[in-house]
Amino acid sequence: MGTRMSLDPRTKLYLVLCLSTLGVAVTDLRLLLVILAAAAVAVKAAAGSILNLLGKLKRFIFLFLIIVVIQSVFTRGGTAVLRLGQINIITDTGLVRGVQTLLRFLIVLVAAALMATAKPRDIIQGLIQLRIPPELAFMVTMAIRFLPLLRDEAVDMLTAIQLRGVNLKKIPLLRRLKMYSYLLAPLLISVLLKARDLSLAMEMRAFRAFPRRTSLRTLYLQPADYLVMAMATVFAVAVAASAILLS
Amino acid sequence: MIEMSHVSFRYGRGDWVFRDLSLTVERHRCTFLVGRNGSGKTTLGKLMAGILKPVSGTVLVDGLDTRQAELYQIGARVGYLFQEPERQLFAPTVWEELTFVLDLFGIDKKLQEERAELLLKQFHLQKVKHSYTYQLSRGEKQRLALAAVMINNPAFLILDEPTTGLDPRRREALAEILEECKAQGIGMVVISHDRKFTERLADRIITLGDGGIRDGY
Ligand SMILES: Nc1ncnc2c1ncn2[C@@H]1O[C@H](COP(=O)(O)OP(=O)(O)OP(=O)(O)O)[C@@H](O)[C@H]1O
Ligand SMILES: [Mg+2]
Repeated sequence: MGTRMSLDPRTKLYLVLCLSTLGVAVTDLRLLLVILAAAAVAVKAAAGSILNLLGKLKRFIFLFLIIVVIQSVFTRGGTAVLRLGQINIITDTGLVRGVQTLLRFLIVLVAAALMATAKPRDIIQGLIQLRIPPELAFMVTMAIRFLPLLRDEAVDMLTAIQLRGVNLKKIPLLRRLKMYSYLLAPLLISVLLKARDLSLAMEMRAFRAFPRRTSLRTLYLQPADYLVMAMATVFAVAVAASAILLS
Repeated sequence: MIEMSHVSFRYGRGDWVFRDLSLTVERHRCTFLVGRNGSGKTTLGKLMAGILKPVSGTVLVDGLDTRQAELYQIGARVGYLFQEPERQLFAPTVWEELTFVLDLFGIDKKLQEERAELLLKQFHLQKVKHSYTYQLSRGEKQRLALAAVMINNPAFLILDEPTTGLDPRRREALAEILEECKAQGIGMVVISHDRKFTERLADRIITLGDGGIRDGY
């Protein structure tokens, strides 16, 4: 399976938009599964492999359990599956909501992976040709570029925390949540600071000095692009229609 | 004791950073690693702390093989100061940065406070006790990161360029703290480009280069 479709970044963007909008709007579990499958097929076609993506999914199981418990404790109704004294720890509605959230999360994640298969330069060029202001196009691209950096930073932080003698596997649940919230904050801050420094650096290099930027190369949509976009549209309409029928 | 014997290391399929390197670091002593940019000082420090594992050869931290041990087990013996202090500060405020690890260990609140107050004083951080960590100056971050590393009384300290960003007065204060650590029996490995600082504190100076090491500048 070495064949890779080289789609225009705009086509990929369109796919991502379709998939993530559907993922957020649809509530039916079966349809969410269908959307997820479609997203996976798209990534497989674009990147050639979804194996390493699947490997990453294991890590979300913990998150999933938390969502299930939170949804069960805080939403009324539903039959209890697991009770602790007066409190329903896990209810059937909680489970359904948990699965729902997880699926949505996965859809957005897989769709984002699709975008990551495009070259940053091409993404900028594609966005600019869509009449999106270069500043904005640049920011979107940087956001995508920052992701691997963020991952490295998170790994370093986890290393540092363990080197203070903390056994990550033995931390009680509540403290563990607190610790993850600790990790999240500096990550966000570092992204914001990086973005700020970067935009300053760009201004210094006169990024906006000329109202119209000229580009050396132009992207053209190929027949395959039109085909994929048409398929995505048909798919989106079909899923939306079934969602309405099912509700 | 940190014992490295016949250690070879490279990143992925890149060039060898070290080949067949053997080195022992003892407690009560202050070993300095010097060398050009890219000579492998940080890599050596990370190998000693078990952050990186040798491709061949062994690294033993107080008899614990870094290839088998979990990071937290090594962390209970070794304190490691990263070259970039940002990457090892987690908690929202200075105070929480110092106490939350003790909290995770389930240490009594009163003891936590005593320990944290002591470190704040030692590292001249009382004034910023309730500040947000991301708002600290470079030098303050550096000192906080070091204080946080010291919180669980490690037997060894590995410090990657601890003087960067410190003004002369703070550098002097750091030198005093490190001397005190040495007197307490902590073994130290310090990476530094600061020759004056190095000559003041070092019991042993090791120069890295060309995949090997030699004693002295
Ligand atoms: N994560 C990495 N992946 C690949 N190569 C790396 C990585 N980190 C360091 N290297 C390479 O290993 C060699 C040693 O790097 P190291 O960071 O240990 O040097 P250093 O002596 O600490 O330098 P400096 O004085 O700049 O901090 C360098 O050639 C560097 O390019
Ligand atoms: Mg270094």
